[in-house]
Amino acid sequence: MIALQHISKWYNIGGKPNFVLKDINLNIQEGEFLSIMGPSGSGKSTLLNIIGMLDLPNEGRYDFFGQSVYDMKEKHRQDLYKKNIGFIFQAYHLIDELNVYENIETPLLYQNVKSSERKAMVGDMLDRFNIVGKKDLFPSQLSGGQQQLVGIARALIAKPRLLLADEPTGNLNSKQGEEIMQLFKQLNEEEGITIIQVTHSEKNAEYGSRKIDLLDGRIQQHIKENISL
Amino acid sequence: MKFAAGYAWNKEATFEANNKIIKEGGNYGGEDFFRMFSFPLLKGRAETALEEPLAIALSKKMAEDFFGSAEKAYGQTIRFQNKKDFKVTAVFDNVPSSSSLKFDYLLNWEEFLNENEWAKDWGNNAPETYLVLREGTDAKAFAKKITAFIENYFKEPNFKVRLDLQPFGDVYLHSTFKDGELSGGRIQYVRLFSVIAIFILLIACINFMNLTTARSVRRAKEIGVRKVVGAFRIALIRQFIGEALFFVFLAAIVSLVLVALVMPLFNELTHKQLTVPFADPRFLLGFAGLILLTGVVSGSYPALYLSSFNSISVLKGTIRFSTGALWFRKGLVVFQFVLSIVLIIGTIVVSRQIDYVQRINLGYDRENLLYVPLEGDLLKNYALFKNKAMALLGIQQVSRITDNPTNISNATGGVQWEGKDPTSMVQFAQAAVGYDFTGTLKIPLVQGRDFSKDFPTDSAGYIINETALKLIGYKDPVGKKLVFWQMPGMIIGVIKDCHFSSLHDPIRPIVLRLGETADYGRVLVRTERGKTREALASLERISKELNPKFPFTYSFSDDDYQKLYTSEKLVGKLSNAFAFLAIFISCLGLLGLAMFTAEQRTREFGIRKVLGASARSLFQLLSKEFIVLVLLALLIASPLAWYFMNSWLLDYAYRVNLSWWMFALAGSAAMMIALLTVSLQAIKAAFVNPVKSLRTE
Ligand SMILES: Nc1ncnc2c1ncn2[C@@H]1O[C@H](COP(=O)(O)OP(=O)(O)OP(=O)(O)O)[C@@H](O)[C@H]1O
Ligand SMILES: [Mg+2]
Repeated sequence: MIALQHISKWYNIGGKPNFVLKDINLNIQEGEFLSIMGPSGSGKSTLLNIIGMLDLPNEGRYDFFGQSVYDMKEKHRQDLYKKNIGFIFQAYHLIDELNVYENIETPLLYQNVKSSERKAMVGDMLDRFNIVGKKDLFPSQLSGGQQQLVGIARALIAKPRLLLADEPTGNLNSKQGEEIMQLFKQLNEEEGITIIQVTHSEKNAEYGSRKIDLLDGRIQQHIKENISL
Repeated sequence: MKFAAGYAWNKEATFEANNKIIKEGGNYGGEDFFRMFSFPLLKGRAETALEEPLAIALSKKMAEDFFGSAEKAYGQTIRFQNKKDFKVTAVFDNVPSSSSLKFDYLLNWEEFLNENEWAKDWGNNAPETYLVLREGTDAKAFAKKITAFIENYFKEPNFKVRLDLQPFGDVYLHSTFKDGELSGGRIQYVRLFSVIAIFILLIACINFMNLTTARSVRRAKEIGVRKVVGAFRIALIRQFIGEALFFVFLAAIVSLVLVALVMPLFNELTHKQLTVPFADPRFLLGFAGLILLTGVVSGSYPALYLSSFNSISVLKGTIRFSTGALWFRKGLVVFQFVLSIVLIIGTIVVSRQIDYVQRINLGYDRENLLYVPLEGDLLKNYALFKNKAMALLGIQQVSRITDNPTNISNATGGVQWEGKDPTSMVQFAQAAVGYDFTGTLKIPLVQGRDFSKDFPTDSAGYIINETALKLIGYKDPVGKKLVFWQMPGMIIGVIKDCHFSSLHDPIRPIVLRLGETADYGRVLVRTERGKTREALASLERISKELNPKFPFTYSFSDDDYQKLYTSEKLVGKLSNAFAFLAIFISCLGLLGLAMFTAEQRTREFGIRKVLGASARSLFQLLSKEFIVLVLLALLIASPLAWYFMNSWLLDYAYRVNLSWWMFALAGSAAMMIALLTVSLQAIKAAFVNPVKSLRTE
């Protein structure tokens, strides 16, 4: 599904390149649940953003379902992104001015889904995450865990095949975190959604089927069954 | 009462002395004139300057024109209108152009009364009298005493003349009266433009508030830290107002430089000689006061608002503006655009009206029409002048009139006809004209014919216009009886209605009588298109021949016409400038709000991008907000502008109609400008890298 070859990213600081990612090679199959770990500043978020097509590397090649991402037209890439990728953040990043219902609905607006269909889809999500009662509340009126549930609902509404999560449990207590992880596992196993998560917690990483460690922009070791390399 | 002096109106007259014949502009003044007014005398004494009936006071310039210097002029004799000799009893320094009384000579008041018998009539109110009251006199009580004075001498059942006083200093700005009560004058324009200036300053203050509060999001940290380190609220307020004052002070310096640079241009536009009184302590004090006021006004809102931030939330970076504050800020932008749109609509309407004035068919042809004053020997030589002129190349027709066709001001109630309602008070415009009058002015005749020397009976003939005909009500008017000023006669022709006065006034009924030999007036000369220069040269030649003691002068009918509308043209130009300024400053304000909003919504835009929003949809999202604001402004501005411009137009009997396209044009102009202003910010916001805007610290 995803093949990264010789991906490097650097920032010029004082005229010298400061590498954030160095020659990353990584293959991810559809249906995997990958955990990215590593110390702070090792480039985890950067790598995730590159996979999520939110950021560009300085060098390297990226194939998504066999298509070279950096050779396609911007619009095509945008379509590919909208149809296939859902994002979840540590800081939830809900839109404060919109209520729960509207927040979940937003991605559909950008995919030109018809109004009646949108209604049904959002309704399904609210049901599934048990937040029907909260649909008229605004983000500031929700707890952190509830906000993250809304964030996940929003990431899933467009039925992506790849879910990217940057420290999804970072702001939650361990019980809330565990619930989210259970949910991820279920999504991965029952619906076949490919999941890549960045996490600091060894325990959360265990929910995944594979784990990679980043250190100073390089992949350290491959743990568990080595599917790709 | 200490002094009193009559004062008439400016008059161009021809003088002769020292073998020089020159036209000069001047007036008549009562004996006390130089005792009341402080025009400095270079020669002669104020007490005796206008004492004798044949006394004349000259300006330094006029004295130099004829005699070389003030000293040489003093005591000399000068011939007035080739009729009478006057003795120079005083020479005064040239009247500064800022004076509202302007004259190069002043004749004794006796001369005015000699020339104008009618001025001795108690019912006449044309010239004004200036008074100086004794010190300690209560002007109001004095005015009450003289109110009914004239009624002792002037007894008419339907007509009352009352006297009143007005301080001389007020006359220039407050000169329009309606039914004996002050109703306006130049002060209306002073007020109008002051209000606009205040509004523009207010807009600028609003922008400052808006931009400062917007910037404060960035400065929130600084404020938080300062609060934590123990800055008191008062100290914060002082800091913000201090900053505002500093900016206003800088702006004031720039504005003074700009004013000094632009002043010559403004003076040229308005034909004034204004200067900035930099050395006047009152000006400096007022200006300093304005700086202080502006600084405090524009600094107060941000100061109070920002210093009320909760320091903990500020430090955590969780400060968010309440929706109330947001609406307040949007309201300010709407307010600015309301003002701008009203000004744009005003500019459109004024320019349309000026355009209308230029293009309206007056009923007579004002192009290629010359006026030559009838004076001196030309009065008795008019018939000869006409004959000679008609033979010249480039001259099509010649006639004469006792008034100015551009603005016939004389009116009378003394017109009788069969079946006239005896109680009717209707006033007819009136003038005495020469043969071939309608032909010269190219006025179409509806019935009958022009005055002509082929009909000796025309001396008892009258030409009326359609409005007069409607009033009189004759079926076949030509040949019917009409009595004008007790002179019975008959109607020989009916002309189409013409605008013989400014478009402010409706067309009045008019009676024209024959005045081929009247003892005043002007010659009307119709020249051939493109031959005006040749015609003028030949006219000057025959004028020199027939009227050697008077220099040849003339005016173009079209120039006279344009002079009727000097003030509206000035208003037009000034409103253009003000509208431009207002829209410019409003755009700065809009830019401020756009920057602020874009900054406020960076995170939201980042999220939307991650959720799949395209740059275009984000651009639309942001622009839509501002389009709504401008539309709202248009909605508020339209009735306001309609009200103002409608009442401005009501001043004209002939005017353009307000129509929807003016509002649409102003609205779309404002919209276009607003969109251009916002789009850069919107584009920037739309293309921002979401990774950057979502990075948590
Ligand atoms: N715009 C930038 N300019 C310079 N350096 C940058 C920029 N953006 C990120 N970096 C650097 O890139 C490195 C990797 O950042 P990244 O956010 O990927 O780290 P991370 O592994 O996600 O860390 P954390 O666990 O703290 O979230 C950091 O050292 C950071 O300083
Ligand atoms: Mg990170």
